[in-house]
Amino acid sequence: MVHALREAHRVLKPNGLLLDLRPGPVHRRIGVEVDGQYRQLAIMSESLEDDHAANQAVVEVIQKGWFKPVSRTQFGCNRVMRLKDFRGWLADFPTDRAATQERLIQTVERASELDGKRKRLVVKGPLVLKVLRKSVS
Amino acid sequence: MTIRVDPERNEMRALKGACAWRGKKVLEIGCGDGRLTLRLASLSPRLIHAIDPGAETIRAARKNLPAGLAKQIRYIVGSAGELNYPANSFDLVVFSWVL
Repeated sequence: MVHALREAHRVLKPNGLLLDLRPGPVHRRIGVEVDGQYRQLAIMSESLEDDHAANQAVVEVIQKGWFKPVSRTQFGCNRVMRLKDFRGWLADFPTDRAATQERLIQTVERASELDGKRKRLVVKGPLVLKVLRKSVS
Repeated sequence: MTIRVDPERNEMRALKGACAWRGKKVLEIGCGDGRLTLRLASLSPRLIHAIDPGAETIRAARKNLPAGLAKQIRYIVGSAGELNYPANSFDLVVFSWVL
């Protein structure tokens, strides 16, 4: 990660800006929306190690003097999907707790069967946008 | 798989407010299928080089590129760890959900 940030530093013009946009290190919440009403079903237990490592890499390049922090913004970001897409989406998260993931799927499937017709799955989790300025030495 | 990411467009509001985009030369790292790239183009940068390590993904992004944006967006297979550009090339670098 630090290497990628160093590459970004190299290709940026002096005083150029680096925008680091990614999900915040918070477990995502999964719910159903029926007729516009959101009901939370579960909270994911995905690993946040990579998120913390990325944050540490950003701290490191600031400490090295390559970049100066400009701003940090956190905001909500929803992902809306159908039940049939949920499994595929969940598979993108590496986990050593397959049983937990399977329970999550079952919870969501059960709720989807019970709810009305106009339903959709909504996964909620914050995004963080950090802006860093390339330092000119 | 159909997943709508950020239908409320909070992401774009934050990006738009983060800096000046008009006329800038932008490198987007981790463009995927170009979901965010197309939205960034609406902020009027001069040029976006959008890279992703997946050749298949880049093919899909090129396929989805509207003809009207072909001069503004270039999709290229590439990796964040080894950027194939000279020093001091870009005004903005966007790490798009990749770091």
